[in-house]
Amino acid sequence: MQLTVNGIERELSTPPLDTLLNALREELGITSPKAGCQQGGCGACTVLVDGEPRRSCLTPLVAVEGAAVTTVEALGEPGNLSPVQAAFYEQYGIQCGFCTPGFVLATTAMLERTPNPSREQILEELAGHVCRCTGYVKIVAAVEAAANGDVSQAALEAGATGPSRHEPEVLVSGSPA
Amino acid sequence: MKAVGARLPRYDGVGHVTGRTRFVDDVRIPGTLWAKALRSPHPHAGIKRLDTSKAEKLPGVHAVITHKDVPRNVYGHLEALGVPADEPLLAEDDVRYKGQPIAVVAAEDEATALEAVELIEVEFEEREPVFDIRKAYDADAKPFHQWGPAFPHFGPYTSRRIRKGDVDDAFERADVIVQGVYRPQAIEQLPIEPQVGLSVPEPDGRVTIYSCTQAMYFSMGVVAAHLEWPLNKLKFVGGTVGGGFGGKVDTATETITALLALKANRPVKWRWTREEEFLCSSTRAPWHMELADAVTSDGWLLARKMITLHDAGAYTRFSSYGVTKHSFHHTGAYTIPNLRFDGYVVYTNRSPTSAMRGFGVTSVSYAVEIHMNRIAETLGIDPLELRLKNANRIGDLTANRVRLSDPSTVPVVLAAADRIGYELGAEFKQMTSEPRSGDLLPDHLLTSVARDGGAETDGRPA
Repeated sequence: MQLTVNGIERELSTPPLDTLLNALREELGITSPKAGCQQGGCGACTVLVDGEPRRSCLTPLVAVEGAAVTTVEALGEPGNLSPVQAAFYEQYGIQCGFCTPGFVLATTAMLERTPNPSREQILEELAGHVCRCTGYVKIVAAVEAAANGDVSQAALEAGATGPSRHEPEVLVSGSPA
Repeated sequence: MKAVGARLPRYDGVGHVTGRTRFVDDVRIPGTLWAKALRSPHPHAGIKRLDTSKAEKLPGVHAVITHKDVPRNVYGHLEALGVPADEPLLAEDDVRYKGQPIAVVAAEDEATALEAVELIEVEFEEREPVFDIRKAYDADAKPFHQWGPAFPHFGPYTSRRIRKGDVDDAFERADVIVQGVYRPQAIEQLPIEPQVGLSVPEPDGRVTIYSCTQAMYFSMGVVAAHLEWPLNKLKFVGGTVGGGFGGKVDTATETITALLALKANRPVKWRWTREEEFLCSSTRAPWHMELADAVTSDGWLLARKMITLHDAGAYTRFSSYGVTKHSFHHTGAYTIPNLRFDGYVVYTNRSPTSAMRGFGVTSVSYAVEIHMNRIAETLGIDPLELRLKNANRIGDLTANRVRLSDPSTVPVVLAAADRIGYELGAEFKQMTSEPRSGDLLPDHLLTSVARDGGAETDGRPA
C-alpha cells in the first residue's frame, strides 16, 4: 500500500484491510492519533485525509491508497507551532491532552473551509470529538482565537529549546549546524 | 506567590498540541507482546473447570497466566492501611461480576492473543446475581462473600457509625420530621485514554512498568504485594495520564502485565477496549441514602438520622474509605448538633465501584441539598434563608468533631444570592461566619456548644 504521510511517500506493509490508525501507530510510529474507542465514537484517532478529517480507527488502509495523510506532527513543532496549535496552547483548550490532536486537526480543516465560523458552526464541526476534562468552553475559545488570528507571537514560538532550528547558532565554525 | 493571579502556560501544553506527549500506549519497546483477558461472561458463577493448555500451544502465544501464577492472589487496595482484602487479582473458584478477569494471554499480536483467549476452556455454574443493594438484606438473599452481605470492618463495628448528641430527645422536641430517600446511580469515569499498561523485564531482574495510574506509589505497593517483591525491583514510569477522574486510582493493568512479562521474558502491553472500560472497569458507586431530620417550625435543624447503603459492587476496593468520607460530610455545609449515622458497604454482582471526583461526598451533597429544599418546602420558608440559618459558623463542630475555623457556607450563599439577584431578608444579608450569638445561638445549639466544650478548648470534645 502506498500513501503520503506528512509529506513523505510511504510504502506500507500493514495489511490493506487493517486500519489506517494501526498503520500510522504500529508501522510508522506516528502516535498522535490515539486509540480512544476504536469504534468511531470519540474522535481521538482523527487524521486529515486529503485535508478532511477522518476517523483513522474506522478507515481501512485500502480506502486511502494514494491519498495524503496529515497528523498534528506535520502542522508544527515545538518552537514553531501552527496558529491553531498555538491557540489551543494559549487559550488552555487542553488538559490531559489525549483528545487534543483530534481537536486540533478538525479545527485546522474547518478553518480551511470556513475561515470565520459562527459559534454554532464550531459546535457543529466539533460535535464528534469527545473531551472529558475541559467541558469544551476553553476549546471553543481556542477555536475562536485561531479564527480571529488572536494568537500571540510567544505562543507561536512556545516550546523552543536552545538554538532555534531555523536560525542555528553556529558554535563551531564550519560545522554542519 | 508569583503564580497567584498570573496567567501561566501549561507546562505540558506544547507536547499536547504537537502530538509529542508520550502516553503509555505511545511508548515503543521492540518485541512487545499484546495481552488479552478471558473475562467472565456471567455476573455470578462458580468456576468448575479451567483449562488453558490449548491456548498455550497456539503458535505466537508466549504466556498464559491464571490465579496459580500469582504469588499472592488476594490483596486489598487498602490492605496497607489495615483494611482486610477480599479481591483476587485473577478469579479462583468463582466470578462475582461480569467481566471479571480469569486468565490473561500474552501473544505476538492482538489477533493471536484474541484467538488464544477463545481457546481457553472454562466451565461455569451460573448463580443468582444480586444487583440491588436493598435486596442484599432480604431474608432469602444468599450472600456470596465470606463476610455476608456487607463489608464488616470499621474498627469494632460492621458499619461506619457516627453518634453525636441526643438524637431521640431532639426527635421528641421537633415540630416536624422531614424524611427523604435519595438514590444516585453509577457513573463511568470514562477517560478518553483507556486503561493501559506496559511492563518490560530488564536484564538485571527488575521490571519497568509504564503506567497510566493516578496514584504512582500506591500502584507500586499493590504490584509489589501481589508479586511478593521488594519495591526496589520495580521501576515505575508514569505521570502522563490521559484522563482518570478517579478511575485510574485502581491498579488495573500493571500487576498482570508484570506477571506476563516475567513469564514470557518479553515486554507486554495491555490496552483495554472501550467495551472493557464500560463493562468491567470500576465506576462511581450507586448509593441508597435515607434521611430523617428533626426540625422546628421556624427552620432549625435539631437532629439528623441517616442510613446509607453504598454499592461496593463485587469487591470492596476503596469503598470503606468512600463511606467514611461520606459520613464526615453527611450534614453538608450545615451545623446539626445531634446525629446518628450508619453507613454500610454492601456487595452486589456489579463491577466493583471506586473513586470518582469527590469520592463519597458528591452523593451525600446531592442528598443533603435536595433535602434542604424539601425541608424549606415543608415548612414554607425560604430555601436560602434556611441554609443561612443553619450554616456552618466559626467554632462549630462537624459530624466527625472537627472544629471549623474558616467555614465558607455564609459567604458562598450570600455571593450566590447576590449574583442571581435573589432577595434575602435584611437580617440574612448582614450575616457573617463569626460565631453565633443572640437569636442565632438558640437553646439547642447553646447546649451543644457547652457540651462540646466551646472554642476555647482548642477543638477537643469535653
